[in-house]
Amino acid sequence: MDGNGPLLEVADLAVSFDNSGGGPRIQAVAGLSLTIHPRQTLAVVGESGCGKSVTAMTTMQLIPCPPGRVDGGTILFGGRDLLTLSEREMRKVRGSEIAMIFQEQMTSLNPVYTIGDQILEAILLHQRVTADEAVEIAIRALEEVGMYSPIESRMRRELAALKVEVDAQRRAPAELLQAESSLGTRMRATRLQLLRDYPHRYSGGMRQRVMIAMALACKPKVLLADEPTTALEVTIQAQILELLDEIQATRGMGMMLITHNLGVVAENADVVCVMYAGRVVEYARVEELFARPLHPYTRGLFRSIPGLRDHRARLTTVEDIVDDPAEFRKLEGYEKGVVPWWPFLPEAHRPALAPSRDPYALHEIEPDRWVGCWRTPHVEAHPTRRADLTYRRSRSSVQAAPSDRS
Amino acid sequence: MLPYISRRLLFMIPTLVGMTLMVYTLIALAPGGFSASASAAAGGGAPAGGDPRIAEAKFRDRFLLDEPLLTQYGRWLARVFPVKFGTRAQVDATGERIYWPASLPEMIAVGDAASPAEVQRLAESMAAARASFHAAEPELQRQAQYRQVSREAKTARESLVGALAQLRLDLAEYAAATGQSALVDSRGELPASRLVALRVDTAHELWSSVAASARVANDAYAKASAARAVLEASFESRPFREAGVGVIPGVLSVGAPDLGWSRTKNRPVGSLILEALPVTLLINVVAFPLIYLVAIPAGMLAAARRGSLFDVLSGGVFIALWSIPVVWAGVLAIGFLASNQYLGLFPVAGLHATDSASMPFLPSWGAAGFARGWLLDLVWHLVLPVTCLVYAGFAVLSRQTRAAMLDNFNADYVRTAKAKGVSRRDIVLRHVFRNSLLPLITMFVSIFPAMLSGSVVVEKIFSVPGMGSLMLEAISLHDAEMMLANTVMIGCVSLLALLLADILYAVADPRVSYA
Repeated sequence: MDGNGPLLEVADLAVSFDNSGGGPRIQAVAGLSLTIHPRQTLAVVGESGCGKSVTAMTTMQLIPCPPGRVDGGTILFGGRDLLTLSEREMRKVRGSEIAMIFQEQMTSLNPVYTIGDQILEAILLHQRVTADEAVEIAIRALEEVGMYSPIESRMRRELAALKVEVDAQRRAPAELLQAESSLGTRMRATRLQLLRDYPHRYSGGMRQRVMIAMALACKPKVLLADEPTTALEVTIQAQILELLDEIQATRGMGMMLITHNLGVVAENADVVCVMYAGRVVEYARVEELFARPLHPYTRGLFRSIPGLRDHRARLTTVEDIVDDPAEFRKLEGYEKGVVPWWPFLPEAHRPALAPSRDPYALHEIEPDRWVGCWRTPHVEAHPTRRADLTYRRSRSSVQAAPSDRS
Repeated sequence: MLPYISRRLLFMIPTLVGMTLMVYTLIALAPGGFSASASAAAGGGAPAGGDPRIAEAKFRDRFLLDEPLLTQYGRWLARVFPVKFGTRAQVDATGERIYWPASLPEMIAVGDAASPAEVQRLAESMAAARASFHAAEPELQRQAQYRQVSREAKTARESLVGALAQLRLDLAEYAAATGQSALVDSRGELPASRLVALRVDTAHELWSSVAASARVANDAYAKASAARAVLEASFESRPFREAGVGVIPGVLSVGAPDLGWSRTKNRPVGSLILEALPVTLLINVVAFPLIYLVAIPAGMLAAARRGSLFDVLSGGVFIALWSIPVVWAGVLAIGFLASNQYLGLFPVAGLHATDSASMPFLPSWGAAGFARGWLLDLVWHLVLPVTCLVYAGFAVLSRQTRAAMLDNFNADYVRTAKAKGVSRRDIVLRHVFRNSLLPLITMFVSIFPAMLSGSVVVEKIFSVPGMGSLMLEAISLHDAEMMLANTVMIGCVSLLALLLADILYAVADPRVSYA
């Protein structure tokens, strides 16, 4: 894989599930395209059931078939279509090249195996290393995710103070060396203890760190983070996201961040993909999307966030926006036939469609901005390129790694 | 872990006490109670000759039935409890425990029985009797001497009990004649405790017979006391080996529980159980792994291939087996498989062929052809009983395994394992199965006591001399000691199985710790 090309390219993916009630199949994902580049965070947002997790799970081929079925599309990774790989080949990709972390950190670790067993399992599966080397890799992974004990934090502060003293030549450099080596011993002992411990002894945030360490131990190229912080408390949430951001920057890893939380999107994403009913309704750079949402649904999402100083009896809901046909006329080029796609738009307000099987098309309405539109003759006549943004935000925090972590 | 286990073992003591107290009470409440059990032991029927009331008093004294129920239970408990207080018992060659001679029944103070001179005379005669005793020297002689002395003491005690009963009857007659029949109890006697309330009229014609009975009782008491003193001296000369291990000499010792003497089999209950328990355990130790080895892999496979032909078929077959009653299956097995009239493939009864004692241990090919040997003979005898014990156990366990596995297949950590790239085989064996073990251990707890009771039926059908047969026999013959001992043994085994399950649970699940 060359350094500049996309890491993961999903094109026209369609996934459906058996309807246990006996009705037609349920289309969870219907023609979805997205791309993830190195060092890029693609945030996938949308309400529950819009197909975010199904997309991630299909990428890993973790959808149980039946009832699931991939109806079409490709998922290109490293020049191969993941959908055509056998189970055996796919196992080599899972965990090693594409890793995934889940929302349910309390139950995602096996309660009867030690943390060490579970991290080593991943390492030994994918890397040709001895057990001792694997332990070293696991220790480094745990260090990377910031698992350390309070005593170590104190020792670090003491070490920093000592350093100042030594620099001022009030203390002998030998003392510094000794303090450093004792901290090293201490840290190693803590990590080894951690590897021997069972998951139930750790809090949710710590377990999520273990999950991340496990996912990252094999240095995957793409990380699929399925609501990694939803069940966590806000400060821990911030810590975890910062951590992911940092690791991503140092490793050049691509990340798909699935979330409900628009605040998390604003803070962490480079590119945002808004989904509804298994389709992309808007795809743009994070700043542009927040500054000027084009699709009525996206506008609805932003408007439904209550402000701190709002003193209204009733908050604005997404329905308030998308049920108003006037909102759909606001898109530039409406007159030409570029109308935002919306499954519940009343017949009267729908444009005349081009003769095609699919009434929907992801249309690049201006450079680097895609909006899901009705497939009108105009849209049909002006095909655009697939959603693909190489954009990355500049991160000031990335260059200077916190001194606290060596 | 160790403190936990010791705590659990200590908790077993009150549990066993509760269990045995319940069984003890039930035996006592059953029609006839312990006297029925004792009279069955004594040969049954009414004792011949003399006043039946006096004979009954003697009988009740022989089995110490006059004491309150709780005292009797306490005495039984003290015998069974491994920690003993007081003088250590001795064990004779047959295994029967010989205890410090029981104290004599209380004297009824009528006439000059309580006078200081009489007490003095009694003490002197006891001392003289003791002094006259010289322990015989070789051990065998000493044992014979003890038996002789013990017989004499028993006779003397019996006549004392008879005399006391006569005295109580005479007193009751006197009381009735002098209009004090309120003092007479339901047995038609006047107990010693009510004596103080009795108005005495020495001039009454019936009083002379009371006085005569009192004199007879006094003499009997003196004789019995002397005989008992001699018996004490003989016991102290230690004719038999002492039971248990002394901790504080004369005060505290530790020894094997004395489960009593089975009067129907005329052998110590302990040795009967030592013969029967290994048989029951053998059947169960063979049956248990069989159930687990068949049911668990079947359940795992059924879960891994949910909805497949194997899943449906194994479920159906196991449930069908489960619904066949053991009694019927056992009888059918004997009738068709074992009986010579049909296939005659297996032995009809017992655990060994009659000539098994002379067989070599392993099978061999000799000049006389194939000799199956002791081990193969045992296996051959075990086939039918074990099959009957096992077949019904598959269903519950395999369905339980299947349900637990299916539950865990959908667990989040299985998804994590899949996302790590773990193969399906490893997921089933390492992740899913390990977590599904936990409910199976709990199952062990409920199955084990049920298996023990299930083997009662199987043992009966196949005439296997195990705990089940022993228990049934004890119940039908009113052998109270054997019933109680069986309760203790089955209770102990079940409680130990429960403890084992809890320990296994802690081993299998790191979240459980008994610190």
